[in-house]
Amino acid sequence: MSITMETLEQHLKDPAIFCCRRQKGLVIGAADLEDPTLFDDMVESGLLTLSPDGLQIGQVLGSTLLEDVEALTPITRDVLDRVNEPAGAPAERKMQDSTETFAPVIKTSAGGNGMIHIEIGRAEKIENLVMDIPVFAAAGAAAEEPAAAGEKRVIRTLVKKHIRITDVEIGSETAIRDGKITIDGSIVEKAVLEDPLCKSMKLDVIKPENRHVYTETIMDVCPIATKVEGELGSGVTKVADGVVFMLTGVDEDGVQVHEFGSSEGYLDEKMYFGHPGCADGNDIIIRCHVVIQRLSGMTRPGPFAAHKCQDYVIQAVRNELKKYDGEVVREEVCEDVRRRGNPRVVLVKEIMGQGAMHDNVICPNEPCGIQGGQKNVDCGNVPIILTPNQVRDGSIHALTCIGPATKEMTRHYIREPLVEGLAADTELDLVGVVFVGSPQVNDEKLWVSERLGSLLESLDIDGCIITTEGFGNNHIDFIQHIGQAGKRGIPVVGVSFCAYQGQLVVGNEYATAMVEENMDMGGFENNVAGCSCVTREVAARAIQMLKNKMAGVAIAPAPKKWSNDVINANNRLLGLPETVLLDNGTLH
Amino acid sequence: MKLTTVEGMQSEIFVPVTPAPVFTELKKPLNECKVAFITAGGIHKKSQTPFNTSGDFSYRTIEFSTPSSELMVTHGGFDNSDINKDVNAMFPIDRLHELVEEGFIGSLADETYTFMGGGGNVQKFREETGPEIARKLKAQGVDIVLCTGGCGTCHRSATIVTRCCEAEGMSCVVIAALPPIARQQGAPRITAPHVPIGSNAGEPNNPAMQTAIIKESLEWVRDCPGYNQTRVLPYEYRHNV
Repeated sequence: MSITMETLEQHLKDPAIFCCRRQKGLVIGAADLEDPTLFDDMVESGLLTLSPDGLQIGQVLGSTLLEDVEALTPITRDVLDRVNEPAGAPAERKMQDSTETFAPVIKTSAGGNGMIHIEIGRAEKIENLVMDIPVFAAAGAAAEEPAAAGEKRVIRTLVKKHIRITDVEIGSETAIRDGKITIDGSIVEKAVLEDPLCKSMKLDVIKPENRHVYTETIMDVCPIATKVEGELGSGVTKVADGVVFMLTGVDEDGVQVHEFGSSEGYLDEKMYFGHPGCADGNDIIIRCHVVIQRLSGMTRPGPFAAHKCQDYVIQAVRNELKKYDGEVVREEVCEDVRRRGNPRVVLVKEIMGQGAMHDNVICPNEPCGIQGGQKNVDCGNVPIILTPNQVRDGSIHALTCIGPATKEMTRHYIREPLVEGLAADTELDLVGVVFVGSPQVNDEKLWVSERLGSLLESLDIDGCIITTEGFGNNHIDFIQHIGQAGKRGIPVVGVSFCAYQGQLVVGNEYATAMVEENMDMGGFENNVAGCSCVTREVAARAIQMLKNKMAGVAIAPAPKKWSNDVINANNRLLGLPETVLLDNGTLH
Repeated sequence: MKLTTVEGMQSEIFVPVTPAPVFTELKKPLNECKVAFITAGGIHKKSQTPFNTSGDFSYRTIEFSTPSSELMVTHGGFDNSDINKDVNAMFPIDRLHELVEEGFIGSLADETYTFMGGGGNVQKFREETGPEIARKLKAQGVDIVLCTGGCGTCHRSATIVTRCCEAEGMSCVVIAALPPIARQQGAPRITAPHVPIGSNAGEPNNPAMQTAIIKESLEWVRDCPGYNQTRVLPYEYRHNV
């Protein structure tokens, strides 16, 4: 048969086309129809011409053929004794039922996966088709204490005090007074001693009104944040508001320290201001430019030396920030909470772990710092679980690899839209955030992915969102991770840059709810730092897709080619602003 | 407790479901190789039971000594007129004998196996028909397997059986009229002449084109650097149905 019973449900609204010549008197069944997933190729090669008069599969099942019909010809009304009406009605009606029956399913499921039962109404030849689709796996708690379902229990609180900074100057001492940061210009002489691979360092200040300055490739954007009470993820953190560090780097031969594409050029054209990992439009940028030893740019120690030496300077400013009692612009209260009875979800962030810049420092002593942290490469890239508060308190210092547009820089993690969105969602119970590195070797990728699968299983979650920065070899693990969740029956949403250049080369049957990060006109990895990454809109679409998937509400399959129209159609459904693509002329 | 859902969302990233790689490197020169040619295009001997055009996972055994005049096609998925004119357009048995005489290949298998892949039952082909054909070819000492598809789902069936042969230790290529299907279904190697389905091995009664397509497909079996790669062949034929 051309369409299997398993996939029939997905194809009820696709065009009905006979796979082979069929004769008068035939009662049409699934086996008579060509597989709709082949239509694009067939239309492209001229084998098949779809007709607006052609009926859908759901309309023709069980009908009798009144005359002979050739293969690969759309089935029309005039050759059938009857047509199932209205179009696709059985499928649509059941879809709504799934949400209506949602609550009772939860009550009876007692911790297992709830299932919804689908029957196809008017298809005579498939009247025995019965489908049990996982709807939503409810926590046993719902049955035990239904009144408390979703009730918030705070585990710990973190207060981020955003301190107003209005000016920065490189001067003769390091201090913060009246909203102005002064950094001792001679600090660079001590900073470079932090690592012998670091040959020189230069500091300067770029004000919002003067962005059209030349910059070497942007290695990282790093906030100035410091603990004043408690440990990472709890207590009080001070964050300098209106200022960030920007690390740039070359080696002694002037070779940019970058991997896939470099962002040197005029800063106003090379950073996507306002994106989570980037400087905001009104931020003062403290540029820390580092020269590292020749030929060390694509080794692990080289780029790390640059980050380490910059951190020496940032730490000096952190120490001043601890003492400074300036104006608090905003007090951001972050809570690690349990919402027992709500669907348990985790966010999985695949981070790079191939070495060189493909590395991250996890859980340093200071927010977004270096000292005291462990690198995911040294940890074997195994999954590491953090609380949402730990992530929001700067637990990840990114050594930021890949291309400029798709890498997640240090600032990204301290204000990751998916972490913030999931943590704030009162319908969900965000159990944690898993960081898993992407190793260099294929076998290791699969090994790490299996460890992630076991972790997801033991967390007993009802759904997860899996993201990756970059594209290419890490998509192998990315798809594996999705498969690890999928094969355990865990609803999963994938988030990545793919578009044109990064289109997936591997896939599996579980990657059915996918969110695109691209914001480049041509669908390329462009050279604008932070252009195509997780934004607030990407996060909103991903969270909604996850809820749909957990509730058994259909997500239509992606078209076979990247299209920004699909993304904007989803944006419109969710009341999100349009995803406008950036044309910076990138051609590869 | 309630989960807000939104109807009408669409996945934003196309995901090809590609099977695991399978690849057997050719370790002999072509002129020492024993070659077999299989097809999903519904070719059988006139004396044999025709295929069931609505889907059939059985196969027919064809001795390579069979004269081409004794072969015919039973396939409902495409216009049969080209094969009716010249069976070599789908199953180039005459060309293969010429290549042995020429010394381009070492020898032909004693017999081969043909099937009708249109609407093919994926599981049956993957678990029964494919492995059986592969075992029978391997038992004859075959080194290289060439394969033509037919219609769209034929390419899928052709690729499944070809993958079985590759897994059995033979080096295979799908000569594809619809290369995207062969690629996505995981064909080990693909050549792509610009031909319509129904004359996948070249224009009927055009021995020069048929020979060139087979020779370059054999060369691709030898030269293809890795799994699932396609070589586009510069031969074009269009027919008006």
